[in-house]
Amino acid sequence: MKLLKKIVPFLLVVFVGIQFIPTKRNQSTEVLETDFSKTFTVPANIQNMFEKSCYDCHSNNTNYPWYNKIQPISWLLENHIKEGKKEFNFSEFGAYSKRKQKNKLKSLASQIRDNEMPMESYTLIHSDAKLSDSDKEQIIVWVNKLRDSL
Amino acid sequence: MKKSIYVLALSALFFTACKTDKKQAESNSMQPSEMNMKEADGHDHGDHDHDATMGEDSSKEERNIDATTQKNSATSAIIDSYLQIKNALVEDSKEGAAKGGTMMLTAFADFDMSQLNESQHKEYMEILDDAKEQAEHIVKSPIDHQREHFENLSVDVNDLIALLGTDKTLYQSKCPMAGEGKGAIWLSEYKEIKNPFFGSKMISCGSVEKQIN
Repeated sequence: MKLLKKIVPFLLVVFVGIQFIPTKRNQSTEVLETDFSKTFTVPANIQNMFEKSCYDCHSNNTNYPWYNKIQPISWLLENHIKEGKKEFNFSEFGAYSKRKQKNKLKSLASQIRDNEMPMESYTLIHSDAKLSDSDKEQIIVWVNKLRDSL
Repeated sequence: MKKSIYVLALSALFFTACKTDKKQAESNSMQPSEMNMKEADGHDHGDHDHDATMGEDSSKEERNIDATTQKNSATSAIIDSYLQIKNALVEDSKEGAAKGGTMMLTAFADFDMSQLNESQHKEYMEILDDAKEQAEHIVKSPIDHQREHFENLSVDVNDLIALLGTDKTLYQSKCPMAGEGKGAIWLSEYKEIKNPFFGSKMISCGSVEKQIN
């Protein structure tokens, strides 16, 4: 009991303390010339699905949920976004080499086909980011066509 | 108690300082490149000029290696690591492929770029950038993903040889069923077909298309 009395206030201080540690916000109002939508001619419904289901972690602009401001959730999200952008960044897709663009498009299609993306932990909260079977089919067909044209 | 608050406040300051540095460094390196690829038809891609004889769609995927390439031993370590991955995938060994991926990252890190001329350098950097990413994924992925990345890697290594040459004798083979039915190539140090894309499930699928050296 005595120990608990010491631990609880300590954890509280840590929790309050970490709130002061800033995280990098991934936000930008500018749509870069290298953005996917400016690099290729993307049908509106496809681009719309990308923005809803992918751009939060795979572009330079995240639409943050309210709880993002609470640590340690901010850290977790920051990490996800950093990893996501390293793998595939819609905002900078036009700057990738052709070789890389082709391979990235291939991975995009296979990740969606295998239900690996969008991640379940993400769609759990963002239910509008979920892709239906016909959404997936549309994306895969279009992406494969684009890849063949490169 | 007071003390721990000070410590926290201090460490918060410290973290803030680190973050800003990092932020600046990142924004510096994020200059969008001058490349704009609005025209997606890509036929002006000079690299593919001598591919014109192979009319098929998939032939755009890789550069054509001349039957006898320049004798260059500088690419040997990279090719050896590639063959290690290939042989592991033939044997359905995820661990072996991962080991080959690590070997490849080392081989690329050790590669002496000073011998490249300007025109080689640009393409080498693109191949390097892509191949490294494939290798990193091969190190950490389950075997079916390793195989997907190995498809890309095979094109990269093939292009590397077309660009810089090798003193090894290699066989370029093609499996028509890989690449989601579009076909995919791989390189082997022996003539006999042992398929790395499917392993034991379809070990003899494919045929030799070309001998290098």
